[in-house]
Amino acid sequence: MLPKQTLSAMIAIIGVLFCSWAGAEDRHFLMNAQTMPTGEAARWSLMTNPQKYGYFQPVEISLPSAGHVSFYQGSPQSPVLTQAPSQAGMMVGHTYRVRISGMPEYPGVELYPTIELLDRLHPPEGEAENFPIPIELTREEIQIVLQERMVTKVVYLEQPEFAVPFEQGAQIHVEDLPVKTNLIQAADERGRPMAIVRIGGRIPDPMSPNDEFYSRSPIKISPAR
Amino acid sequence: MRLYFLALGTLLIVCVGCAHDGQQLLETNKNRYYAPPAAALQHPGPMVGGPGPGVMQVGHQVPGPPMGAMGAAPGGAPFVCPPGTGGAVVTTSQVRFLGPEGMHVGWQIGGGFAENQLMAPGRYNFRQAATYRLKFSNIPGREGLVVYPSLHIYPTHPTTAAYLEHNALPLRVNDEDLDQVETNNFVTKVIYLPDAKYQELAIAGVEELVSTRLAPGLDPVTEADRRGTIMAVLRMGNMDLEMPGQPGQLGEVRGANGEIVQTQYADGEKGQHIAPVPVGSHEGIGRGGVPSDMMVGTSGGPGQPAYDPISGVNGVPQYGMPYVGTPIGLPGPPHIPLGRPAGLQSITLRNTTDYQVSGPVEDMLIDVRHEPGIRMPEPVKYIQYTEKHPGYQASDLSVPAWAQQ
Repeated sequence: MLPKQTLSAMIAIIGVLFCSWAGAEDRHFLMNAQTMPTGEAARWSLMTNPQKYGYFQPVEISLPSAGHVSFYQGSPQSPVLTQAPSQAGMMVGHTYRVRISGMPEYPGVELYPTIELLDRLHPPEGEAENFPIPIELTREEIQIVLQERMVTKVVYLEQPEFAVPFEQGAQIHVEDLPVKTNLIQAADERGRPMAIVRIGGRIPDPMSPNDEFYSRSPIKISPAR
Repeated sequence: MRLYFLALGTLLIVCVGCAHDGQQLLETNKNRYYAPPAAALQHPGPMVGGPGPGVMQVGHQVPGPPMGAMGAAPGGAPFVCPPGTGGAVVTTSQVRFLGPEGMHVGWQIGGGFAENQLMAPGRYNFRQAATYRLKFSNIPGREGLVVYPSLHIYPTHPTTAAYLEHNALPLRVNDEDLDQVETNNFVTKVIYLPDAKYQELAIAGVEELVSTRLAPGLDPVTEADRRGTIMAVLRMGNMDLEMPGQPGQLGEVRGANGEIVQTQYADGEKGQHIAPVPVGSHEGIGRGGVPSDMMVGTSGGPGQPAYDPISGVNGVPQYGMPYVGTPIGLPGPPHIPLGRPAGLQSITLRNTTDYQVSGPVEDMLIDVRHEPGIRMPEPVKYIQYTEKHPGYQASDLSVPAWAQQ
């Protein structure tokens, strides 16, 4: 039989061990989609994984019903006007500014969201164009933007084990999170972050057409599908 | 009895120790990591700008493993770090004048005003880190009232860069503000992006603090700075900057025959649009009030070009001027007799002022502290990689979803 003092010491050691286990550290996320300047997360992603450089990832942009999506090929003076849903190849690690216009629900409204491409998909050989990253702008998001507010979305590739347990409808599942939440962390916990979409109400200044508003990132416009 | 206290202490450790292990007395939240500020994260590597050891410059080749066929750069170009589109690029803030609707907005252009450049609601891109003098006129319901507010556009901060790239700053002058101005009060409106903990709505948006709606003694700029990051400040009073006959740059100028001479004038209603000229610039000290990376330490000051006095250039007196300078700013004695080459070779100035000033500080200590402090996890030193493969028997056939008809 153990002496009483030895028993007490054992209980104390178990208590300390339990405390150490309960205080296990969380994962750390340097990047934050809401508080980092546009393009920084993609830049970090590319620097930590340079193999992604040079890959044009198809991205499909769709609107609530119909409208136009304009892409810029190196110059703000020569936009390429396409009919939504539109698809273009965007280089991983770069940020793109597109113009949304001609929406029948919002006559006269033009929006200029940016798309920051963090990662790429790995489709079967020759099937890349059939597996674009889908970016959907919903009515709710456009309404928020028209109220002088800003919307930040992180598009992620779902992890099969944590997939939403219901059939996906015509629209992509969107989850609204509190503003304090780090969206990149939330997306990483659910899968693999692919792109950050930021939408606001700023439009280019007609008095200074050469301002820094437009992106000059390399792009491949896909033929109409 | 001693055994009783030992058992009691053990029970206390087991029950309470998990919540308070002693470290929490010093740290509020031990299990959280805190990344460096966003400004530091913009400089991967040593987290400061360069050039310097380990600093990754935009456009420089980044070391990394050789690229495979899938990752090869188009045209065989070397991998270069793409420039970030925020922070270092955006230099304008778009201000949207929301109202009162129909109000005309003009701004100062050096020695005059450009009138009617915008009509509310309207927007304009102002260059950052500068203060502009605006002119509000034709205010509906306020006949004859002209207000000359100043608009201070703050430089982009890493936390506001994404917002400023995508949104305009809403600026609305309402009846309450105009009433305050007309009753000789001073109105300060601060537009800021609140920190996440001060944001009430789920969607990011700016907030506005107005001096007249704060408790007496509260400075709206200080209060906004405490709650978030300031992007613009509008200061508005009833000072008339275009009074006839006033001295100064904006005063009325009359010609030889008594006619009014417009030194600089533009009217937007006649299609004359001129960019505003800042009345105060803050660009010399770099972005966000921090000296820029490349700084030349000369008498020109931080961020300013070097001041190398050359006789006859940029205000430096011509060689042979009859008066000489002195270290205290007073003109020295003339070279007399005038009209001859300068012959004075020495000046003696004696300061006989009584003074009692403390001696210079020899050693200075500045304590800098982040709250909360920076805490990052230890680098990865072990990775276990496991791939799970499904097992198939001879009669099983697996067809990828994309290949199914």
